[in-house]
Amino acid sequence: MTHAAGCSTPYLLLSQRKCAILPVGNQNGGAMKQKTDVLQGTLALMVLKTLDVLGSLHGYGIARRIEQISGDLLAVNQGTLYPVLLKLEQEGAIASEWGASENNRRARFYRLTREGRKQLQVETQDWEQTAAIIGRFFEAKAEDLS
Amino acid sequence: MRSLRRFLTRLINSATRRAQDERLREEIAEHIALQTTENLRVGLSPVEAHRQAMLKFGGVEAMKQDYRAERGLLWIENLLQDVRFAIRSLRRTSGLTAFVVITLALGIGMTSGTFSMVDALIFRPYPVRHPSGVVTLVSTTHDSSFDAFSYREYLDIRDKSKSYDGVIANADMEAVGFSAEPGATPRVRGGMMVSGNYFHVLGVEPRLGRGFREDEDRVHGRDPVVVLGPDFWKHEFASDPSVLGRTIRLNGTDFTVIGIAPETFPGMQIFGHPDFYMPLAMARVFSTNRQKNFFEDRDDRELNVRARLKPGTTLQQAQNELTVLAKNFESEYPKVNRNRGAAVHTQFEMRTRADDVNWKFGVIFVILALAVLLVACTNIAGLLLSRARTRTREIAVRLALGAGRFRLIRLLLTESLILASLGGLVGIAIGYGVVEWFHSFQNVIFMTDLPVAIPFRMDTRILLASLALSALSALLCGLAPALQSTRVDLVNGLKSADVDVPGRKRLWARNVLVVAQVSTSLMLLTASFLMVRGFQHSLLDGTGFAKDHLLMTSFDPRLVQYNAAQTQQFYKLLAERVREAPAVQSEALTQNVPLGEDGFDGIAFVPDGFQMPRDRENFNSTMDTVDEGYFETMGIPILRGRGFLASDTADAPRVAVVNEQFAKHYWPGADAVGKHIRLDSSGGTPVEIVGVAQPIKYQATIEKPMDFLYMPLAQHPIARMTLMLRSSGDPLQLVPSVKDVVRTLSPNLPMLDTRTYEDFYLNKAVEGPRIAMKLVGSMGVVGLLLAIAGLYGLVAYNVSRRTHEIGIRMALGAAQSDVLRLVMGKGLVLVGMGTVIGLAMGFALEQLMNSMLFNAGGVDIVAYIVVVPSLFLVTMLAAYLPARRASQIAPTQALRYE
Repeated sequence: MTHAAGCSTPYLLLSQRKCAILPVGNQNGGAMKQKTDVLQGTLALMVLKTLDVLGSLHGYGIARRIEQISGDLLAVNQGTLYPVLLKLEQEGAIASEWGASENNRRARFYRLTREGRKQLQVETQDWEQTAAIIGRFFEAKAEDLS
Repeated sequence: MRSLRRFLTRLINSATRRAQDERLREEIAEHIALQTTENLRVGLSPVEAHRQAMLKFGGVEAMKQDYRAERGLLWIENLLQDVRFAIRSLRRTSGLTAFVVITLALGIGMTSGTFSMVDALIFRPYPVRHPSGVVTLVSTTHDSSFDAFSYREYLDIRDKSKSYDGVIANADMEAVGFSAEPGATPRVRGGMMVSGNYFHVLGVEPRLGRGFREDEDRVHGRDPVVVLGPDFWKHEFASDPSVLGRTIRLNGTDFTVIGIAPETFPGMQIFGHPDFYMPLAMARVFSTNRQKNFFEDRDDRELNVRARLKPGTTLQQAQNELTVLAKNFESEYPKVNRNRGAAVHTQFEMRTRADDVNWKFGVIFVILALAVLLVACTNIAGLLLSRARTRTREIAVRLALGAGRFRLIRLLLTESLILASLGGLVGIAIGYGVVEWFHSFQNVIFMTDLPVAIPFRMDTRILLASLALSALSALLCGLAPALQSTRVDLVNGLKSADVDVPGRKRLWARNVLVVAQVSTSLMLLTASFLMVRGFQHSLLDGTGFAKDHLLMTSFDPRLVQYNAAQTQQFYKLLAERVREAPAVQSEALTQNVPLGEDGFDGIAFVPDGFQMPRDRENFNSTMDTVDEGYFETMGIPILRGRGFLASDTADAPRVAVVNEQFAKHYWPGADAVGKHIRLDSSGGTPVEIVGVAQPIKYQATIEKPMDFLYMPLAQHPIARMTLMLRSSGDPLQLVPSVKDVVRTLSPNLPMLDTRTYEDFYLNKAVEGPRIAMKLVGSMGVVGLLLAIAGLYGLVAYNVSRRTHEIGIRMALGAAQSDVLRLVMGKGLVLVGMGTVIGLAMGFALEQLMNSMLFNAGGVDIVAYIVVVPSLFLVTMLAAYLPARRASQIAPTQALRYE
């Protein structure tokens, strides 16, 4: 279990999870930074899933796909995708190489590595578990808690 | 694992920044292009399509920054940037950089060089396993806190104490006649007798063969075995391993080589590195003192005793145990152990004992070197301060563009750190030079055939210390300027190239620098002047005897196995025959030459008619054994009574000559001639004082007057003696005739240490102090030069900054002299303050030096009369020159000056 190292607080509320699902960016950042961390963490998971489903894609393609599925998450600030891609690549979850785009120009294509696939599995499980806990929490009635 | 990988990738990325930037740029372009195409397809106009694409992408620069932060290691990149920038800006002012580096290097070099000396003399641990557990045991009396133990005492301590994992003993290193083959003329080498457990307890594993077994040290005279020292093995036997088991001859007795000590163990002494080690049980072959029985006499104290503390045993416990043992000795053997205690000391305590001057010189050298370094640092701080000020505008621009203050301070500190590293490196080179310089005096200072070496060296400890010192100096020099120059008023800073922040803080720092410089260099100068004068004084005082036209050469008839009677006969005939040789005016035999290498023997006695203090058994004095020609040959006047005569034979009544100090000490106001002393105790052999000699310098030119006693050779036989011949011409011309005489008496007996006494004296008594004077003097000069340069720089800089103001003053009618007064006044006050503080520091240092080295009380007024005004003059000149230049500027020119 690599992702949770150093994140010992049980994550009940998303907004307090400093480590997010994937620790991204400056983890020593202040409160301002936390929100983007969460966003980036979610984004990373989306990137992995996108590449898992669609195979090799360039940055624009990934952005489009995420936009299609998540609605307005990437309606603005598509550029924030690139630092996430870089981070994932540096961690070895994805790999990239030059290829030809639809415009027939040079574009950087990203694909999931074996390690990334493993990571995606773990993250997915974690995510579902968390979602389940939160779900139960929200469904709980007042008498259940007393 | 993942984070390590990420770190490595980022590290690599830091190095390949440019290619990566290119890749990102391309990706962004392609992304926007694809989005634009998409937008066009929806039906937007080309311009609008591109605009929408850009909007959707978001802030490119902000993203780039995130990307970069993600990609590389920001702090490494920043650091590299800082270093690159610092190197560039240092190169731009290469003159200043060179000056700073050299200044710093001088300070650091001197400190590390002298520290190598102090390290060897005080701090370097014994070259053995777990050196911190090794303690030294000493016998203590009223007269000596560091006395040795006798063989019997050693055995008792070894067998009865429980605090130690082994107690070892060794005699002092002594001259031993060595020959590799029987029949060859013996040569003198340094041998040391050690206890059988010596190597074992110290944890020294022989390089070849084995150390002594304990049983080899049990039966007296049974096991003639020897362990060779590493250097001796290398030089004498060319590192031949087959030497093991071979027989060599020591003082005429055959010894079997059983082992070679390892390279890492040159010996336990600082200077002396024994050529070979013999078991104590073989003492009869090496014993020097024929009056005592080494194995039996409890007052024949020749052994240095060390022990390894048991783990968990404290020094205090060991001390308590030893005190009880010493008490027992006292009650069991009141005759020889009355009022005799014992103490346990650590290595550090032994190295910093009060009666040793070497380490004190070392410490004073280091203090002075640190003072030089301090002057250098203040100098550099001043320079950097001035430099930072001329960069005010640059810094203001940086601040205005959003550079953080911390980042700027870091940048400036990087600069001084680079300066300090350069200075440190050059300084270490200088340190090596200083150590080499020390080494070059090895043969000058130690005029002896015994294996002694100057063990100063630059090892890792010194190097680390030097580097730490450099880093510290970087902080010292750089922090204040960095803090100050980043505290700029932006508006003013941008308007003018050089602006003064209102307020006194800035000037205050500068003034402190000037005062510190003047006072430290004054202290340095005073110290070096005092030391030079101290030595000169001792040399000018004279030694009290004639040093010219003397030939000296030593004999040790034990080398050819003479017994006591043969030895006496040899010296008697030698004296008679050489006296008749041509060009020999007079002849003398002495156990030790004055100011020689070996310490004089001590003698215990009770003076007749002297009221002994209740707690004392006897008194001690240093002594020499001489023949009847000694006083005449050495030109030592006999003030009252007579010297020794040929009639003072072994059968005649015992006689002695004392020096005037001795006579005054024990018979104040009376004539010592005719009085008696008794040897050892009030019941001992009576000896009549037949003469009083004028005191001379006995052991060192800087010694204070001491009691001294002479005994005639005929009544106090000694094996190793030195022949002194006074010639009418060149003393060395006597050598062949002495050789002839010796050959007729004893063909195989070597002549040792043959040279003129003057030669010996110059090297031994003059050269050592001269080296110290050179060292201290050069520190004083370097300190002064640095202080002058620094002072000049600071004042000149101040003046140049006030050029504008001076122009206005002069335009308004100020005279040249007014301007001069204005500028000089400030300098005067600072120099004055520095002088006062420096005087106080110099005075404190003088007290320290007097108490440590010269034994002279009081204040050397002359030193201050010379040093203070000259420093004052020089510093005033440093202030005057720029002031004069300022007062000569034409007002029009000054007003136009920015």
